[in-house]
Amino acid sequence: MTEPKLSIVDLTKRYAAGLEPAVDRLNMEVEEGHLVALLGPSGCGKTTTLRMVAGLMDPTAGSIVVDGKEITHTPVNKRGMGMVFQSYALFPHMNVEQNVAFGLEMRQTPKSEQKARVAAALDMVQLGHLGKRQTKELSGGQQQRIALARALVVEPTLLLLDEPLSNLDAKLRETMRTEIRSIQQRTRATTLFVTHDQDEALDMADRIAVMNGGLIEQFGSPTDVYERPRTHFVANFIGQANFLTARVGAETGGASLAGESYYKVDVEGLGQFGAVGAAGLSGSTHEMVIRPHRLTVALRPGADQTPVAGTIERVSYTGDALAVAVRVGDQQLQAQLLTSSGDLPRTGDAAYLSWAPEDAYLLPATTSAERLAA
Amino acid sequence: MSDVRIFKPRFNPAKPAFGLLVFLLYLFLLAPLLIVCVVSFASNQYLSFPPEGLTLKWYEMLPQESTFMEGMKVSLIVAVIVTLIVLALGVPAALALDRFDFKAKAAVQSFFLSPLLIPSIVLALGMVLLFGPLGLTNTYAGIIIGHVAITIPFVIRTTLMSLATTDTSCEAAARVLGADSWTVFRRVTLPIIQPGVIAGGVIAFIVSFDEAVISLFVAESGLPTLPVQVLRYVENSADAAVAALSVILILISLAVVVVVERVMGLRKALR
Repeated sequence: MTEPKLSIVDLTKRYAAGLEPAVDRLNMEVEEGHLVALLGPSGCGKTTTLRMVAGLMDPTAGSIVVDGKEITHTPVNKRGMGMVFQSYALFPHMNVEQNVAFGLEMRQTPKSEQKARVAAALDMVQLGHLGKRQTKELSGGQQQRIALARALVVEPTLLLLDEPLSNLDAKLRETMRTEIRSIQQRTRATTLFVTHDQDEALDMADRIAVMNGGLIEQFGSPTDVYERPRTHFVANFIGQANFLTARVGAETGGASLAGESYYKVDVEGLGQFGAVGAAGLSGSTHEMVIRPHRLTVALRPGADQTPVAGTIERVSYTGDALAVAVRVGDQQLQAQLLTSSGDLPRTGDAAYLSWAPEDAYLLPATTSAERLAA
Repeated sequence: MSDVRIFKPRFNPAKPAFGLLVFLLYLFLLAPLLIVCVVSFASNQYLSFPPEGLTLKWYEMLPQESTFMEGMKVSLIVAVIVTLIVLALGVPAALALDRFDFKAKAAVQSFFLSPLLIPSIVLALGMVLLFGPLGLTNTYAGIIIGHVAITIPFVIRTTLMSLATTDTSCEAAARVLGADSWTVFRRVTLPIIQPGVIAGGVIAFIVSFDEAVISLFVAESGLPTLPVQVLRYVENSADAAVAALSVILILISLAVVVVVERVMGLRKALR
């Protein structure tokens, strides 16, 4: 593998002695040209991490290396980063062009070159015609694009985005997310993107760092973190999940993606099923994750597989999809099905749940599962 | 749509009553100014009301009254220097109070605002006692130090208010883009807090120009400011020249306010 664009080594931030660290010995490597999402609930340390990479905050310990050079103690104005803030942070007393030109001015780029690059940057965000406008006359989406142009015009070593979409309304947010992604891919700017929105992260990122309590719970591609969550937290935070406690029995042979094994598992109160998980889980108790839409809901017992019989307790209709809560023994399982013009299941109906073994994933960590079982 | 009912607003007696109250309040506030205005055109030999006739002689007298011209000069010099010093001290102080957390922050804050709470006569007395041995009585330095002390709370307050409403991420954005601290202050922070800074400066100028008690104690004999001269004049003679002078001063204040309003909008500045 080539040298990473950015490596973060044991980065730690403690706001005050005695407090839990906001970021706790965080390690991460980012490849050149990748967009990495730092995803997590508020207070998980994602913004703190971003601000330390930007240089706006001093780490308590650890180091930040960009292009092989340690920049942990380089002052913020010498790091050559580009950053977009949640509030856009456009300079209110300057017009659009002056805003975008600010970084070039600081670099003492010749005037004529400044002009050309500002124009190019504004064209890139499709706002070339608004150069002379005052920033407060612009809509949120436009301000956002100006902020992006201002960050990119300096050809930053890293592009840092701090929840750039959270002040926009839902429709615009989706448009902007496609646009930011396509601009990022065109400019090949290595990007860190802080967000608490899992859809944004899954849609835009090459890699996602799921953060919780100052730690990275999992670092991987969007499919990795969704399909193969490493912890209960990741499974629960990204998408919806049913958790079942499973005693893992013998391997049944065969391997799925990347050396995973098939197991026979025993789920308390439900019976025996097939599941997949990392190698060597036999004999211990693990949490088994099944996504609601991977559960097949039948209203009559079917011949295939081993269905689990239950009763529909709640039905919620959202147009194209139907979410149902099914009571099975003392557990409630969430399932999802697409609506059709035919009969819709109703509360109180019997339901038969089944799933493919590939869709039942055993979490590698045993700790939380054993705590649950105890 | 004949069944659409239009609601007639009911007569509300509170409305005219409130109007009357506001009118009376304004009258109460402005009455002294109005009387001074009227008196300045009155031909009465002594300061009194109502006027017996109309004249402009008090205004004609003003340029010949050298004490007034001298006082005006002293007051203007003092007010300009005080404004400059107080801005140079107050704006950084406000920045520090807003942006940094340090030990005894609350104490520093109340220290800077304390001159507002202490009667100026007490301050003035203290200053005489302190300035005497230092040789600062009857000097510009003495008056200016005194005025800086009483005007700095205004500058700090108005600047703090501006700072409180600004988005600090603008400054962070400028730093990330390569600006050093001084450039950030000059190019970003200062332009954003400019309304508060100007408002503080205007208030400091007017307060200093207007101040009588400290000037009287610190420099009555050697370097009388305009308010001190007015006080002396009224003690010795009772004609309406001071009324004419007052009208001129009101017009000067008004001019400052109008200019600031025209340049940048005072409502924004005093927000």
